[in-house]
Amino acid sequence: MSVVISVRNVSKTYVMGEQSVHALQSVSLDIHRGEFVSVVGPSGSGKSTLMHILGCLDRPGSGTYLLEGQDVSRLSDDEISRVRNRKIGFVFQGFNLLSRTSALENVELPLLYDRETTLTAAERKRGAMEALHTVGLQGRERHHPNQLSGGQQQRVAIARALMTRPAILLADEPTGNLDSQTSIEVMELFQRLNRERNLTIVLITHEHDVAAYGSRIVVFKDGKITSDEVNAKRRVTVKGAV
Amino acid sequence: MKILKRSLVQAIGALRKNKLQTALTMTGMTIGVATVLTMIALGRGAQGAISDQIRSAGMNLIVVTAGNYQAPRERPPDDAIEPSAWHPPRQGWDRSLLRSAVLGDHEQGRLFRIHAEDDPMAVHDHPLASQRLGDSEAGLGAAATLTLSDAAEIRRIPAVQYVSSGVHMNAHIEGPHVADASAIPASPHGVADASGLPASPHGVADASGLPASPHGVRWFTRLHGDDVAQPLIRRAWVFPHGRYFNEREERDSEQVIVLGSVVSEKLFGSANPVGQTVKIWHQPFKVVGVIASGSWILQPEAGDDQFDAIYVPVTTVQRLLNLSKLNDITITTKSTGDVTQVVRSITNLLRQRHRISARMPDDFTVSSQARKALASGGLRPEVAAAVVGNVSGLEKVTLDQLGKTLDRASQTMTALLISIAAVSLLVGGIGIMNVMMLSVTERTREIGILRAVGATATDVLSQFLLEAMGMSLVGGLLGIALGLVTSLVVTQLVHWSIDLSPLAVFVSFAISAAVGIFFGYYPARQAAKALPIESLRFES
Repeated sequence: MSVVISVRNVSKTYVMGEQSVHALQSVSLDIHRGEFVSVVGPSGSGKSTLMHILGCLDRPGSGTYLLEGQDVSRLSDDEISRVRNRKIGFVFQGFNLLSRTSALENVELPLLYDRETTLTAAERKRGAMEALHTVGLQGRERHHPNQLSGGQQQRVAIARALMTRPAILLADEPTGNLDSQTSIEVMELFQRLNRERNLTIVLITHEHDVAAYGSRIVVFKDGKITSDEVNAKRRVTVKGAV
Repeated sequence: MKILKRSLVQAIGALRKNKLQTALTMTGMTIGVATVLTMIALGRGAQGAISDQIRSAGMNLIVVTAGNYQAPRERPPDDAIEPSAWHPPRQGWDRSLLRSAVLGDHEQGRLFRIHAEDDPMAVHDHPLASQRLGDSEAGLGAAATLTLSDAAEIRRIPAVQYVSSGVHMNAHIEGPHVADASAIPASPHGVADASGLPASPHGVADASGLPASPHGVRWFTRLHGDDVAQPLIRRAWVFPHGRYFNEREERDSEQVIVLGSVVSEKLFGSANPVGQTVKIWHQPFKVVGVIASGSWILQPEAGDDQFDAIYVPVTTVQRLLNLSKLNDITITTKSTGDVTQVVRSITNLLRQRHRISARMPDDFTVSSQARKALASGGLRPEVAAAVVGNVSGLEKVTLDQLGKTLDRASQTMTALLISIAAVSLLVGGIGIMNVMMLSVTERTREIGILRAVGATATDVLSQFLLEAMGMSLVGGLLGIALGLVTSLVVTQLVHWSIDLSPLAVFVSFAISAAVGIFFGYYPARQAAKALPIESLRFES
């Protein structure tokens, strides 16, 4: 199994007024292709900071971060934008879809900023339709976010994250705004994508029962990893198990 | 390209969401641009009108008239106005004696000091149309001294712009036979106004079925035998129909005629007379055009010299009437400052050509007075009177200075108008900046999303710039439309002259785009430089 993410001694300190908050303290972590890693910890434990650094939304204060062997901590803003576009798919707690924009256009969005592959409008549309189909939203392409339920919105976000066939899918509290039944459906989808596409997933959550869907659980506390082990009691959804 | 398109779609979407704000901002922009356009149009119009008035008022006009019948007077103190040279006549001049014998001794005192050839009677005694007499028989004799070759020589003087030679007389013009022109609505007062004529009972034949008249409508008017350069000299002329006669027609002395708008109205009503045939001296003339006033301060009236008049090539008049001399030669100089010098050159040239010895007076009159020009050359009488009345030493002011002063006044006005417009543009621009700043704050999260899926800072910058420009350009286009309408309404209502050049429209458009970029750049930059994670964390 090839290493997709390699984090070595990464620290991050935020200065808030006169206080410095050590969000991450010399964290090292390797994630291999096809893993489904759940990162758990209470709020303020540094897990969100880790995710922002993994997603190239933020830069590590010190240490190195290799994404598929590339040191992304030294890239320019334009290059980092390209890395985000090509290699990382985000799923957020608040869905972060563009309002006033249809589901289909939301899903197409990453392709518009993809400077390497030049797809025609029709090809982009076909790709987006496929992605929506994958997440089970066929027939809802023209709906705007405010016409969709929370679960449906999160599926649109997942479809969007899949569009550029990223190396990793980063999910930050993806079920935080969803009820338990919908949460199960979303986790089902993650498990299916992980299994069927061998998609590397990093799931960040503070709920242990959600974290239990992962194949490996990393526990954070006070900016440090306190435990990192294979999930022996993995929760498997009915559909995911098939 | 796809990013551009997406940016556009996003931009339009964002603008539509804040309809009221967008509308208000664009209104500011619209008013700004409309003001700029209207001000430029009005300013340039005023400038153009002033310089047109200076020219049509004859500030650069010189008229050489045949004969010299000025009473001797003291030389004016100022040299700007060239008096015609005067010399005491030689004693014992035989024509002079002859003249005094004919007119009686009591006239002797007045005639005593006038050159025999300057006899005003001789100058104005043109042949009657029906007589078709030659110069000498008509009594013009040696007094009508100006010829076409004089005009040709004057044309060679360096500072001269245009030269037109003219023969002027009164003539009856007869419209086409009413039977031929039944389609033309006969002006009801066209006949009645021709008071000099016995109103023919057959004069009016209209659709009511009166018997066709053997004569068309007749009108007694001023006939100018002129040169093709005349419209260039009379800058305030426009041609509602047709054109002026051209060089070929003048060279071949063709029987073509251009009607003044008053004559056209009398003969043809509101119909287009071009191509019709009219008669003068029982000769057919083809109408090629109609002249009207292009200046709002000069309205054609019956009896005026320009529009209640008809224009025929001077060569045609000379051929038909067997004339070889001219009444006058009209000259314009390239600049008003050249008038004095050109007057001198013309005087010297003509004296030389007419072989007038140093002791003899001119046999022609050169006039170029500002006072005369102002009083008769195209200004409204009350305006001319005001100018002449208020400027006591008008002759002392060189024409050059007067023109420059008027020009400077209009430039000042243009500058004032443009600064007002600039202020309104500034206000519009700040409005756009305000809306963009609000929009950036409101959409911080959206910016974060775009950054997360791979938009570069430049992509974000260009999208927000596009929005600002879109707003200002749409506002600007509406402003251009509003400005055009306003300018046209202003001319219609208060008769100010405007000059709507494509350049002014282009400048207004460019300004609105520039305002969009200038005031949109700062907010757009704020949006682009924010860290993606901070944008994403932002809670609105």
